[in-house]
Amino acid sequence: MLSNGSRASRVRRLPPAAISVVLALALWQLATSVGPLADLSIPSVVETGQALIAELSSSEFYVRLWETIQMAVVGFVVAMALAIPAGILIGLSRFAWRSTKFTFDFFKVIPPIVIIPIVILVLGPTMQMGIFLVVFTLVFAMAIQTGLGVRDADAVLLETMRCYGLGTWSQIRYARLPSAAPYIAVGVRLSASAALVVAIVAGLIGGAPGLGKTILLAQASGDDPRTFATVFVLGVLGILVSRAVTWLQRRSIFWMPS
Amino acid sequence: MVAASVHLLDAIMIMSWWRRILLVLIGAWVPTAIVFAWWTASADSTNPYFPPLSLIVERFTELWFSQEFVTTVVPSLRNFAIGYALACIIGIIFGTLIGGSRTGIKYAEPIIDFVRSIPAVATVPIFIVIFGLDIAMRVASITVAASMPILIATIQGVRSADVVQVETARVFHLSRQQQLWRVRLPGAMPLIFSGLQLGLQIAFIVTIASEFLGSGFGIGSFTLVATESFLILDAWTGVILMGLLGYLINIVFDLVERFSLRWYYGQKKIV
Repeated sequence: MLSNGSRASRVRRLPPAAISVVLALALWQLATSVGPLADLSIPSVVETGQALIAELSSSEFYVRLWETIQMAVVGFVVAMALAIPAGILIGLSRFAWRSTKFTFDFFKVIPPIVIIPIVILVLGPTMQMGIFLVVFTLVFAMAIQTGLGVRDADAVLLETMRCYGLGTWSQIRYARLPSAAPYIAVGVRLSASAALVVAIVAGLIGGAPGLGKTILLAQASGDDPRTFATVFVLGVLGILVSRAVTWLQRRSIFWMPS
Repeated sequence: MVAASVHLLDAIMIMSWWRRILLVLIGAWVPTAIVFAWWTASADSTNPYFPPLSLIVERFTELWFSQEFVTTVVPSLRNFAIGYALACIIGIIFGTLIGGSRTGIKYAEPIIDFVRSIPAVATVPIFIVIFGLDIAMRVASITVAASMPILIATIQGVRSADVVQVETARVFHLSRQQQLWRVRLPGAMPLIFSGLQLGLQIAFIVTIASEFLGSGFGIGSFTLVATESFLILDAWTGVILMGLLGYLINIVFDLVERFSLRWYYGQKKIV
């Protein structure tokens, strides 16, 4: 009964979403075929759809997709491996935290895109370049996030532990790390989405391999439907990644009251 | 008694001043050390990619404290400002309209969800196809990319208005319009500001990206051309200037936010 009810409500909930998607596609098709944009060389829905099918049925697409994912994943793992221990360390010492705060904030705020010209010079349009950019983007924000979590440990709990003569290590293990865990979880989720974006940007701006470069090449050769189709794929990919990360997190830290 | 307490206050003030100076000093030694290390390590560098920092600084002052700043950087800042201003207006107005109606959200959600999932920089090629390499392309890509977080934050802010406040407003027979202006929008301000900040960062990124991709003028274009023509010093000065601009824009935003939301921070402090 219950599952039936929820399914019925889901079906009833679907139409507005479906209607607006169909409406948006229809508007796009009309505008580019008979409407105000017809004279420009903007690809229509049909042309983009054809390019999309061609793209998805070519093996090259999956090679590029794999390259993008590789850069994102390797960069993400390296950044986490650097940032989480660093964040814990600077979070434990008040002096270290205050010493690094300004520097880390500065590099966190600087958009990674501005360093691309120098990175291209040094590393060239390679995968290493994409990985470096991903690491550079994630590492400072993640270290700050972890440090904030470590510092947010309950002061009363820490005092109590000190009174009972528990050592620094137990304090870290039972007060600091548990308080940092939710902060780290949020940071990991944001970092995962950001890693994919930066891996794409590295290709699009810096010519690193992957789907970003696919767009760059399609645009440079004037293959507009292919440009549109690849950007479309990126949108879908972005939705999938954010859904997947949310789902994983809900499964793995179900004990965490959010 | 009074005199003593005044002395005490003075002492606390002096202490907090000392504290502040101490904090600045503690915060400043790491960046100072980094710059010093860079300066000495690169002093007689022969690596073409890492020229001596002294030469970079020299070139920096030569380039950016001259007419070059007006011809190269000002157009970038102008596009950025126009695009961001439009994004703020569009994001807040449409966010309020969509967030205020339940059916509006149902219809708009899938489209917004999709558009915001596209990396902002990846939308630039789309606008190049539509507008060519014109200024219109740059402003349009900045506006669309930056308006997304503002739109989403406004929708969330307007929707998550305090129930007690809204109910109270209803009891006192405030019209829908009054409810919006007096209760929902002020309550949404902190969220809207977080959207505005994200939008600002995205606007800056897309400003640079639109110049990287659509060659022509602007600081991004200048830097990329310098890289391609192996003018390494120029490329370094461009990168440093862009980094500083990105940082400054955030600082300015923080100040504006703190000023506009001081009632909110005041409330939080009391709570």
